[in-house]
Amino acid sequence: MKRVLTYVISIMALLLAWELASLAVNGINHAIILPGPFNALSQVVKNAAELQRNFAASAWRLILAILISLVAATPLGLLIGREPTLDRYFSPMIYITYPIPQVALILFLFVVFGTGSATKVTMVALALFFQILVSARGAAKNIDEEHITSVLSAGASRWQVYWHVVLPATLPEILTSVRVSIGLGIAFLYIAETRAALGTGLGSYINKHMLFNRERAFAGIIAMAILGLLLYIAVDVIERLACRWKYVKRRPLK
Amino acid sequence: MIDVHAVTIDYGQGEQTVRAVEDVSFRLDKGESLALIGPSGCGKTSLLFALSGLLHPRSGRITLDGEEVTNPRRDVALILQNAGLLPWKTVWQNANLSLLLNGEFPQQNAAEVLAHLGLDNVMKRFPAELSEGMKRRVGIARALSTSPSVLLMDEPLASLDTLTREKIQDLFLNLWHEHGFSMILVTHNIEEAAFLGQQIIVFTDRPARISTIVENPQMGSLDYRESSPYQAVMSQLREALET
Repeated sequence: MKRVLTYVISIMALLLAWELASLAVNGINHAIILPGPFNALSQVVKNAAELQRNFAASAWRLILAILISLVAATPLGLLIGREPTLDRYFSPMIYITYPIPQVALILFLFVVFGTGSATKVTMVALALFFQILVSARGAAKNIDEEHITSVLSAGASRWQVYWHVVLPATLPEILTSVRVSIGLGIAFLYIAETRAALGTGLGSYINKHMLFNRERAFAGIIAMAILGLLLYIAVDVIERLACRWKYVKRRPLK
Repeated sequence: MIDVHAVTIDYGQGEQTVRAVEDVSFRLDKGESLALIGPSGCGKTSLLFALSGLLHPRSGRITLDGEEVTNPRRDVALILQNAGLLPWKTVWQNANLSLLLNGEFPQQNAAEVLAHLGLDNVMKRFPAELSEGMKRRVGIARALSTSPSVLLMDEPLASLDTLTREKIQDLFLNLWHEHGFSMILVTHNIEEAAFLGQQIIVFTDRPARISTIVENPQMGSLDYRESSPYQAVMSQLREALET
């Protein structure tokens, strides 16, 4: 309950800051350039059906991209982090490809996959892949060696070391990288959705209305923020369940 | 019987080789206890890891009942410095890790061991919820879960307060009498070596070489700490370590 209350207070403060910024920008320019939050929110209600359709399109693309990058990058990152030979060969590749802005590949992806969802999902997944790969690799390198020794001395096979130590030990850091990826993923998804001329998704919706119906465009931005918030909450819930051990404290015997 | 013959352990290769243990030989009969003592970082732990099959010596041979130790074995249990508990597993899962890794389901015996160690009401807790003393008990429970014939311990009581340390030393002694396993303890604590080692090997600084072997035949009772042979062994150990 307390957590919900802090969320509400925090969001109210943000809306207030937005309202003040809107008053200032519009006052200086003597025109409605930045719509206030209440106008934008009323547009959310008015355009609920259209927003819902675009929200669903963006949400599934983003979730699919996160899942693809997670499934591809996690095992690879953990292996590179734990196996010195793989690390020697793969690390230079990562250092060369990680800094390439994936947006630079968008036209190429449109040529390869067309202008549909496949390109958008691929671009977001590509961007998040490196984010998660680098985090997983770093986390795997920093595992307490006593944990590894402990399971090896108990007779664990190499596969069991990964399953019982490497994966659970690195999971909190991997989930943190997923959290960072949500913001990054939304940004990349927006870019990908605005590049397709007649696409669905919130990026396309915002782009369509930004010039002539800014209040509706800001309703789209609110929807994107809600998408991010819901995903953050989902990752928090997953972490609370999967990493329960991180949230316990020493307590006396009953 | 454990037979360590002319064991030398190196780390690295070529010019970067670091010698951890040099030409160490000793024997330990079934059910006997041995303490390995020496300066911190001298190579005692490397020798213990070789005994557990986690490390392979550069030269020499380690055998257990005539069979060469090349890999971790079910009948050899290792207790690590911080008990080696996995923070993401519960007390029950940690205590039975060796069994679970081998696809076995813990038997009644496992619950009894936990109860005997006073852990029966914390089985569902995670290590972070336990005191340091309790964590060590879980480490002991794990070691006993496979009914080992040899118990290896790498400074198992480091960083514990004096009272807890003595309580767990007493527990080791009782378990040693009850279970009859051979016990090899690595420590840099003189009191611990004198209380738990029937034989105490004093090592030199790195690379670890045997400097002195101190016999301690009268150990084995809980009130040994108050006796004069205990004090005499401690003086001998102090002297050996100083030289």
